[in-house]
Amino acid sequence: MKKISPRQLYFFLACIMPAGKLVILPSLLAQQAKNDLLLPALIGYLVQAGVVFCVLLAAKKGESLFSLLRNTFGKVAAIAVMSVLSLFFFYAALLPLLEQRLFVQSTFYDTLPSLAAFAPYFVFSVYLCAKPLGSQGRVWDILGPIAIAGLAGILVLSVGETDLGALLPLGGGGMGTFKALPVLSGWLFDGAVLLMLLGRIDYKKGTAWKGTLWYLAGALGVLLFLAVFYGVFGDVAVNQPFAIAKTSKYFSGITVLGRIDYIFIYALSLVMAFWCAMPLQAGIDCFLQPFGRERHLATILSVAVNAVFLALMYFLDNRFGEVLHFVTGAPFWIFVVFCTVLPPLSLLLRRDHERS
Amino acid sequence: MKYVTESLKRDTETLKKLLPAEDILTFEFKSEKNVSFTVVYADPITDKELLGEQVIRPLLHYGGGTDAEEIAKSLTSPELRKSREFKKLSEEVLAGNPVLLWEGMKEAIIVGTKKVFVRAISEPSTDVAVKGPREGFIEDVKINTSLVRRRLKTAELKIETMEIGRRSQTVVALCYLEGTSVKETVEEVKKKLQEIDIDIVPDSSYLTHFLSSRPYSLVKQVGTTEKPDIFCAKIAEGRVGLLVDGSPIALTLPYLLIEDFQSSEDYFVPSYRATFTRILRLLSLIVAIYLPAFYVSAQLFKLQLFPIRLLLTIAGSIRDIPFSPSLEMLLVLFVLEVLNEASIRMPKYVGMALSVVGALVLGETAVSAGFVSTPAIIIIAFSGIGLYAVPNLIEQTSVLRLMMLLVAGSVGTYGIILASAFVLLYLVTTENYGAPLVAPFSPMIGRDLRDSVVKYDLGSLELRPETLGSKNRRRMK
Amino acid sequence: MNARKFIKTIPMKLYLLLFAVIVFAFFSNDFGLVDVQKTAIILAAGIDKTEEGYAVSAQIAVPKGSDRTTGGTSSVEIRADGKTVSDCITMLYSKTGWVPKLVFCNLLLLGEETAKEDVFGSLDYFLRNEYMPDSCYLAVCEGKAEETISSQSAIDDASSLAITKLFSDAAVKAGKVMPNTLKDFSRSYYGVSKSGYLPFLRMHDQEGGQEAGGNESAGGSGGQEKTQKIYTADETALFQEGKMVGLLGANETTAFSLLKGEVFAGTFNADDGEKPVTLAILENGGGISLDTGGAPKVKLSVSLTVRLCCRGATAPIDDVSTDKVPEETLRIAEETLKSDIRSLWDKCQSAGCDLFELKRDLYRASPKKFAELKDAVPNAVEAEIETKVQTKS
Repeated sequence: MKKISPRQLYFFLACIMPAGKLVILPSLLAQQAKNDLLLPALIGYLVQAGVVFCVLLAAKKGESLFSLLRNTFGKVAAIAVMSVLSLFFFYAALLPLLEQRLFVQSTFYDTLPSLAAFAPYFVFSVYLCAKPLGSQGRVWDILGPIAIAGLAGILVLSVGETDLGALLPLGGGGMGTFKALPVLSGWLFDGAVLLMLLGRIDYKKGTAWKGTLWYLAGALGVLLFLAVFYGVFGDVAVNQPFAIAKTSKYFSGITVLGRIDYIFIYALSLVMAFWCAMPLQAGIDCFLQPFGRERHLATILSVAVNAVFLALMYFLDNRFGEVLHFVTGAPFWIFVVFCTVLPPLSLLLRRDHERS
Repeated sequence: MKYVTESLKRDTETLKKLLPAEDILTFEFKSEKNVSFTVVYADPITDKELLGEQVIRPLLHYGGGTDAEEIAKSLTSPELRKSREFKKLSEEVLAGNPVLLWEGMKEAIIVGTKKVFVRAISEPSTDVAVKGPREGFIEDVKINTSLVRRRLKTAELKIETMEIGRRSQTVVALCYLEGTSVKETVEEVKKKLQEIDIDIVPDSSYLTHFLSSRPYSLVKQVGTTEKPDIFCAKIAEGRVGLLVDGSPIALTLPYLLIEDFQSSEDYFVPSYRATFTRILRLLSLIVAIYLPAFYVSAQLFKLQLFPIRLLLTIAGSIRDIPFSPSLEMLLVLFVLEVLNEASIRMPKYVGMALSVVGALVLGETAVSAGFVSTPAIIIIAFSGIGLYAVPNLIEQTSVLRLMMLLVAGSVGTYGIILASAFVLLYLVTTENYGAPLVAPFSPMIGRDLRDSVVKYDLGSLELRPETLGSKNRRRMK
Repeated sequence: MNARKFIKTIPMKLYLLLFAVIVFAFFSNDFGLVDVQKTAIILAAGIDKTEEGYAVSAQIAVPKGSDRTTGGTSSVEIRADGKTVSDCITMLYSKTGWVPKLVFCNLLLLGEETAKEDVFGSLDYFLRNEYMPDSCYLAVCEGKAEETISSQSAIDDASSLAITKLFSDAAVKAGKVMPNTLKDFSRSYYGVSKSGYLPFLRMHDQEGGQEAGGNESAGGSGGQEKTQKIYTADETALFQEGKMVGLLGANETTAFSLLKGEVFAGTFNADDGEKPVTLAILENGGGISLDTGGAPKVKLSVSLTVRLCCRGATAPIDDVSTDKVPEETLRIAEETLKSDIRSLWDKCQSAGCDLFELKRDLYRASPKKFAELKDAVPNAVEAEIETKVQTKS
């Protein structure tokens, strides 16, 4: 398998990872933190940047997560950890997929379509998840510039309608900043996903800190979008769930040209199609690493997992609120443990030649 | 394996048995000194005048021994080979080269007096350049190699020939620049060619199947050109070229998708103009593939994609159409494809009439009869023209267009996005002979981007494409 | 061996299956599909309060057909009643069989009676509807919205298209109208100021215009001839907590525009009684600031650079050849402007409408001060008005 070059990794960190955080998350942050929505995002991103740095340092060892775990704890324990991690990824995949379904219904149709409209996504997801996350560096080379163009286009079209004064006064959200952190955690699983790239990164000198800087550049893009979003909608931002499809529609040229902003929204949707499947891919990858990545096994597992999630989409129809409430409610510590506490520990894992 | 036996009668009979066809003839004669000779030749493809001039006339006065070397010295033909194997001799006869047999011989002489039927070198109709060379390859591999040799006057240019096809024995010339082409690629191509076990090779396109890593792929994996200048330029970049006897279409490997967006003319016009036309080609292709799909999905699922005035115009046009927008578009696309196919195959004078029938009668009548709407015809016409901006990819892009239309009509715009994601994933994971298909975009190779969609000035293209992996990177000092 | 061969062919079989599913979906597609022919494209909606709830009058675009030669947009107006706006929209569907689509709705018109109660009772449906563009214009009209929506415009095929022309950028730059969108109106409603404004629309008969034109009315009046109408929106309705609490006249609306600094191509009358003079505005600077140092005081300032556009009386040729404004006229202009702004501020105060969103600015600057002064704004705030009109040098 070809290794992921540093440039591909930077695209992934700066352009692909932020894409999924621009849909429902902005309005949820506005709901909790009001005009302070940038603060929880900033806190969350700074913490995650630390996690990303640690995982990238661990990537220097050049071995996969399973291999590092096996060297440190033995095979059985390694399999157990990978299985738990796999389950976590499946758990983490639920929210983005439900969110994506609602986004698709709202942005790609102008009357509520049938539930089947989102089913084709899982056909794509089966194809995508049958390949390991680390094999897609080349896609990131294409998706990176597309994401940049998409976000830049939306920001440019939105900026005329933006009143950045709406972000004042600082601290106006009160304790909402802290209440927003559990909500944010449902989307900030970047560090954990990165664990699945261990052993597949073509680590060069300085990749860790450069990667972290690129991750922060992506974070800056998200923060910029959050600022513009709140600047456009102010106090009604809480009622704008599909933020990325909303801010640019007030551009004056739209009355003449039609919704040209959809070019940028659809470009980001393409990126999001890959982003949404990321936890699923990571989950399947986790499961397969201990058993060797046999092509047929990967395909069968991909079909099975996606079938389960397709069924879940039907079962959880109109229950996004409940799922969100559950995932970001009391059990939000699950995300904290798997995305913030555990990934840096990968630094302590032993390489093959360090085995006693 | 059978070998010649020194008995002229027996050897002639053996050869005739191997070649029982009616057009394989023998000519027996004796020299003044009573040495018996027999020439075995394939009548339609042997230059008999040359054979008489260079072989028979000199031998009429021959009075030497039976040694092949001695006989060869008395012949005036510049192309002489010797062989003892009947298999080789029969192959040569079938290739148009007569075989000379005589009493007491240890080796027969093969005389290179093949009759070559060639058409004149002309400009290929599929690759017309307003500026730049107008020569095109023809069906004869020797002339084609001479066209290449004329442009690359270097000892580094290697032309290795081999015969492929159990029955056709088609000559394939493998061309590459030693030291510039990647050795592994050359070896891999050779290996793949040698492994081909096929009856006949009527055209170079037969070989592409065997040379591709994904033979059933929607995307082509072998580059093609009919122009020697492009062929040489590609070889000079480090690619391997294949010339196939009987085919004017040369093959180049490894193939990058961007090649088909580059025209030879781009290198003969200012770089800003080349950049403009390349962007135009890319946009045309995107529009050609996506326009019918977006039109259908917008009508069915997302009206907002139209400005209101345009929507009302379209709604007015389709009001009385009996088909759904998706079916209507499919119908018009089908008609376009049929017209396209028929107009290519038909004789020119009928083709003219057909285009009139297609454009005027079918289009105009279908609209006025209310079968299809005017916007649908405009969309398909625009898409049809757009596709021809990159003529080398028509086979692939027309299938993609149909695919997009089908998903747009069934799932809507999101279907188009997902199908695009599929295609993207497929393209980036395809590679041939170590070169990724969509390089230099993925993997992104900064320097190679200078001759991609944006074309830099010639002075900036001092290095060969990194994608091709040539060790000899510098081409300009 | 056979099993391996079978496994090898699985991807191809799956692709074929996928293709078959797509083709099936293509020919039988119904993922909630509502194509343009089954759709009621709502261009505008008028909302009136009725005894049992609401009446929504929707102006629906009707395609003209392929033989269209005249261009333009045909439309029909349908009225539907219900307890809520949502009921009315559902009623539209059952009345016409067309699925109402709001994605192109560019105008929401509130009847005068509707505006007297909290309008967000009726706008709630549109705020919740994911497919409603909140960039649509919002306006209040004199009388019933239904009458305005179903009126025959003298200048366009559809009344809504004629009305939205009044809200164009050019009209805003002229300073004669203060349009507002659903998003901005609700933003100020849900903000700390809870105040807002909407253009107030009046309908006038067009002298000599009597025919029905291209409008096919399916509403109340059937195929009867209608008097052609023209519309004006130079007045501005003031809102506090969603209710209309006052009305700014044309001059006050212009003053409001000037205070916002949005006028670049408008005219302004400096009428000193006997000699009316029209000044063309070349530059407009506006400022609104709240001083909370001592007693809260708002500073409203307007600076204009003008040139002489038209005198209402005969002038000597020397005067015609120059567009400089005499000093005296400039002073009159300043005073006129001052009085318009004063009148505007008085109306805001008496209506309790925080038109300039001073509370919002105060909150952004200092939540502490906001808590202290929120009840004092705007009623207990003194206004300091500063106007400066200068001629082009």
